[in-house]
Amino acid sequence: MKRMSRILSALIILVGSLTMLIPFVDMTIGALRTRQESISVPLVFWPRSPQWQNFVDVLHSLPMGRLYLNSLITAGGVTLAVLVTSALTGFALAKYRFVGREGFFRFVLGTLMFPQFVFLIPVYYLMKRVPLAGGNDLLGIGGSGLLHSYGALILPFMVNGFGIFLMRQFIMDIPDELIEAARIDGCSELRIFTHIVLPNLKPAMATLAIFIFLGQWNEFIWSMIITTSAQKLMTLPVGIQLLQGQLDPVRTDLLMRAALSYAVWPVIGLFVLLQKYYVKGMVMTGMK
Amino acid sequence: MKGQRHAGSSRFTPYFFILPAVVFYAIFFLFSIGFGLWVSFREWDMLTPLDKTRFVGLSNYVYLFTKDDLFLPVLRNTLVFAIGSVLFSTAIALLLAVALQNNPRRGLWRTLYFLPMVTSVVAIANIWRYLYDPNFGLFNGLLSLFHIPGLRWIDSTALAMPSLIAVSVWATIGGALLLFAAGLEGIPTMYYEAARLDGCSGWNEFRHITLPLLRPTLLFVLITGFINGLQSFALTMIMTGGGPVNSTRVLALYMYETAFQNFRMGRASAMAFVLFLIIFLITLLQLRIFRRGGVEAH
Repeated sequence: MKRMSRILSALIILVGSLTMLIPFVDMTIGALRTRQESISVPLVFWPRSPQWQNFVDVLHSLPMGRLYLNSLITAGGVTLAVLVTSALTGFALAKYRFVGREGFFRFVLGTLMFPQFVFLIPVYYLMKRVPLAGGNDLLGIGGSGLLHSYGALILPFMVNGFGIFLMRQFIMDIPDELIEAARIDGCSELRIFTHIVLPNLKPAMATLAIFIFLGQWNEFIWSMIITTSAQKLMTLPVGIQLLQGQLDPVRTDLLMRAALSYAVWPVIGLFVLLQKYYVKGMVMTGMK
Repeated sequence: MKGQRHAGSSRFTPYFFILPAVVFYAIFFLFSIGFGLWVSFREWDMLTPLDKTRFVGLSNYVYLFTKDDLFLPVLRNTLVFAIGSVLFSTAIALLLAVALQNNPRRGLWRTLYFLPMVTSVVAIANIWRYLYDPNFGLFNGLLSLFHIPGLRWIDSTALAMPSLIAVSVWATIGGALLLFAAGLEGIPTMYYEAARLDGCSGWNEFRHITLPLLRPTLLFVLITGFINGLQSFALTMIMTGGGPVNSTRVLALYMYETAFQNFRMGRASAMAFVLFLIIFLITLLQLRIFRRGGVEAH
């Protein structure tokens, strides 16, 4: 009985792992096939001689460098902003008593309930109407506002309810005595934040940073809406999806696989390196 | 001495710290929701100046439920997709979590299952589109090894939805698995030891110890998975474009098309708020169940 269940467990794990791996393997191995191999019946899984040329050619047909840069700027900008706003807000919620604190905290948690789709139209319009940007006048009329700028990709994500929640939980664990001692030494409140709270928050910041960065790196719908008409701003997922028409038509599937490999593996590498931080954030979502 | 006022700290200090978030929420949350709701009562194409748009009352909402031939099928697709993916994903994740519970290398396996969670949905959708290819895809290639005729995975109205659900399940197992694993680690081993002394094992152990103690996690995984499923967009957009014959068109995709391809902002806004209402009701239900279960909301 015991042995049966152990064999069963092993079988489940084996089948499961194969299922998880095959799509990733097919993505990259598939990118190394020749045109003939990719359309052969019966199927050729392993290419006879790997066509590394596909990985080179895709760099010429898609602006991969540009897409990478845009993704880095967007995800990096959002991550930085979220770290700052979350830590500041979390600090106030965790260590001060003020009128409206409970209400505000509940409000922050409540914002998490709203689907992104409620905001697409209003925020698009807001970005278009930003005064004095993109040819707009003082009233925000006449031009395209921030629509064709990194601002449109970054601004709507600069505060994150989950980030605030996470920071509040971590900052609550910082002993009050530490903060009190600094106050007695004459530290200003801002200095307490930068010199006492932030240094104690490094692991939490790492958790939030990797969480937000990966999320934003893979963000699709908003980036697509904004950059469909502003190709120069396209992020990696949007660019690969929308620009695949630029690829050699007889090898589209091969070059797509190569492009996706470029997009996916670095992020997976990052995740594997930093997963202990990521997992902590993930599990925290289950505790709220 | 938290909460008292001190030299150098005025009562405005905390407000100063939350100011960036307050400003953000005022603009990107409160104003946006109000504006979105306002738009849902009007006819607007995004280009016409707002003061020249027409107030149409509830007719955008009424239109969706009475005149729009697509909306109700789309709503049904959305529910089928969300329920299908969350049920299978949760069940498989639970099975795996238990199978991995005492495995010395469980960390490694969990990482493997988690990979799709950090992979761009654009990559996932395209890879699976190739796997499902009727002529040259891996799946039909494998079937042909056993002389089984290939299936039209995402090109037939009957199979497209189940095929998409399968991808969603594949992509979301890892998250659920992780939460279950954390939940399982919270169960004291002495419960299992006591059960074993009483001659309880295997299935009974699972039913009478693991499952009841995992209930809060299970509920959380089910509800959040369902809510995420309701908002799925890129998978359908990339893999099937909503087809064949609308069999996989889901609400988020339909809303996107209505707004940013057909420029009917009023109708699209109304759709977004219908989606919100569904999610809101489910969240209330979740809070109610959690309270009854005596589990703190946070």
